Amino acid sequence: MSRVSVPCHVKGTVALQVGDVRTSQGRPGVLVIDVTFPSVAPFELQEIMFKNYYTAFLSIRVRQHTSTHTPAKWVTCLRDYCLMPDPHSEEGAQEYVSLFKHQMLCDMARVLELRLILRQPSPLWLSFTVEELQIYQQGPKSPSMTFPKWLSHPVSCEQPAPLIEGLPDPSRVSSEVQQMWALTEMIRASHTSTRIGRFDVDGCYDLNLLSYT
Amino acid sequence: MKMAAVEKRRQVVAPAASFADSSRPAVSRAAATAESEEDFLRQVGVTEMLRAALLKVLEARPEEPIAFLAHYFENMGLRSPANGGAGEPPGQLLLQQQRLGRALWHLRLAHHSQRTAFNNNVSVAYECLSASGRKKKPGLDGRTYSELLKRICRDGEAPEEVVAPLLHKIQCRDHEAVPLDVFRAGMLTCFVLLEFVARAGALYQLLEDPALAVADRRVGQAVLDTLEGALQASDAAAVPARFLEAGSRLGPDSLALAMDRALVARRPSSPMTREEFLEKAAALFIAKVKPVA
Repeated sequence: MSRVSVPCHVKGTVALQVGDVRTSQGRPGVLVIDVTFPSVAPFELQEIMFKNYYTAFLSIRVRQHTSTHTPAKWVTCLRDYCLMPDPHSEEGAQEYVSLFKHQMLCDMARVLELRLILRQPSPLWLSFTVEELQIYQQGPKSPSMTFPKWLSHPVSCEQPAPLIEGLPDPSRVSSEVQQMWALTEMIRASHTSTRIGRFDVDGCYDLNLLSYT
Repeated sequence: MKMAAVEKRRQVVAPAASFADSSRPAVSRAAATAESEEDFLRQVGVTEMLRAALLKVLEARPEEPIAFLAHYFENMGLRSPANGGAGEPPGQLLLQQQRLGRALWHLRLAHHSQRTAFNNNVSVAYECLSASGRKKKPGLDGRTYSELLKRICRDGEAPEEVVAPLLHKIQCRDHEAVPLDVFRAGMLTCFVLLEFVARAGALYQLLEDPALAVADRRVGQAVLDTLEGALQASDAAAVPARFLEAGSRLGPDSLALAMDRALVARRPSSPMTREEFLEKAAALFIAKVKPVA
């Protein structure tokens, strides 16, 4: 299946914290990243890909276009997806992650905006975020996707042909018929460009082609 | 004196003379070194002739090489101008038959699947047939070409009704000059059709009811229809897809299914003769042959 990257604008991370960020001693445990798509019409999201950097849990909310009259609503499409099994240890801390639309809680059609909510309960890490964020939508179907019937529904090998008594051996018949087919194909493929130079059609000449000289 | 005789012998080109000479005691063998024997063979053309013969044997890989070589040299004799000029000038008709025979022999040297060898032989046969005409008219006329096609088909033991449509399609008119390419295509088609008919014959034997010695028309027709389907359905498709599709259609499973279906259908059973089967099969092949234009 092909996919096409959607150009997006990733806003700066916003830390959610009680109290003043600059003066408080404790580090924030929640970050919010907004992703907008300024140059794209509402699209169906296929895949979200990013590289984790010490984020333990990820929630995603999506704003979808419903109709021109009602304002678009925010819907949670991913809730507390675990990126690090143990927030205090390294595992999963710097892995590449792919999230597909079938992993989401809601339909991912007509996406206007995304909001990523990152949580890291462990105080061990100085900072956390996600990097190299990329959003994909489904690409155009390649033309070769339509397979002929004989290829998409092959005769299953397990199905033994119900042989009637006295029917000739199919494999030997098949071998002969295939040879005949090959010979015919060979002749069909061979052709000569040389013409013998006949100007008549079914034994009759076109008067205009005959010269009197 | 004897030295002179030896010298003379070495220059003689005609093989007959040298055979007569060889009975003489070669006194001056010491003088005429081993090299001279080699020279002699080369000068009289035996070296070249044997080399050509060996190449032909290698090319054709005959099952009976001695018979093959005997036939080969017999043809060489017919071809050499000395032989043709010395005897009574044979009748025009006889000469024509000889030429046809020689051309046929060349054509049969290599199977058509050995394409290079086959093409070579076709060229030689073409020369054989065309060189013999009057000096004014080099090239091959349609009459000879058609005659040759008929001979090939007749010798190929294919029933006349089976090959007649092909001959009609690729024959040239009597007065027409046949270019080499057309000649080659015609010969190739003819030989391939003969093989096709032989295959169809083998297929008929497979389909034959051993007790009745005839095939069931329903089964025979089903097999032919399957082949026709594989040949036709994919006319428009690109080559690799076409081949794959044909493979799928002509696999044992789908053929078994087709034959099975034919028997299950509630049509009365009637025999299909071998001739009819061959004729119908050949029609499928001939439909794909491009006519001479």
